[in-house]
Amino acid sequence: MSEFRIPQGRYEITARLDDSVRALSRAKPRVNQTAFPIFAFVGALGGMGLKIKDLSEALGLTFDQGPVLARSRLSFAAPLLVDRVYAVDADIDMLVNKPSRTYGTADHLHLAIRLSTEKLHSTARLHIIFPGRQE
Amino acid sequence: MKRPFDNISGPEMAEWCELLADDNAIHLSREAASAAGYGPRRVNPGPANLSYLLSCLSPEAEETLTDVDAHYAGVVLEGDDLSATLEGERAVLTRDGFALVTATFDAKR
Repeated sequence: MSEFRIPQGRYEITARLDDSVRALSRAKPRVNQTAFPIFAFVGALGGMGLKIKDLSEALGLTFDQGPVLARSRLSFAAPLLVDRVYAVDADIDMLVNKPSRTYGTADHLHLAIRLSTEKLHSTARLHIIFPGRQE
Repeated sequence: MKRPFDNISGPEMAEWCELLADDNAIHLSREAASAAGYGPRRVNPGPANLSYLLSCLSPEAEETLTDVDAHYAGVVLEGDDLSATLEGERAVLTRDGFALVTATFDAKR
């Protein structure tokens, strides 16, 4: 929807990284090649062609006041596997400024970020609220 | 199924920020968290909170997962003691009974 283009990124999920994230999440150990599902989110933000702060600033959003995650939807076309490198493609689905009871006004950013090899593995759709931009 | 997540720590938040390439200072600095209105404790990154709910899934459920829809109603702060509850396809992360994150899981039938 936005004309702003986010460069393609890449993200490697190694077995060691999966072990580390599972430990951080206090999750069960991996039993085969399937990576912990949170990598659909971690790989999306960690591998996106721009850091979320840089993307926010490029869009004129007030990152320093602390953006708030409102909703995430992770869709899996195929499981994410360890020891693979994924292409990370991100699109801005929507960016709107709305009145806010909490912040006065807030920018609502909707992103769709896909992790793919030769096929699509996962899509993370994120709704992030940026409080209080002053015009 | 119910799992406790006690004493969410600042160093863990820093690890998540590095994984997420997230420079948001409210996760890393008590001063920034305070300035943003969260009080003197650092704020846990949202994906970390979702990961606690995903940790309730069995390895079989991880493999057949097709969709995770999560709503974030509140923030997790440094030092918080949390509880993750999984009932069927719905999981809730709570602090003192207040729902902070609610997620629904869909899987291949």
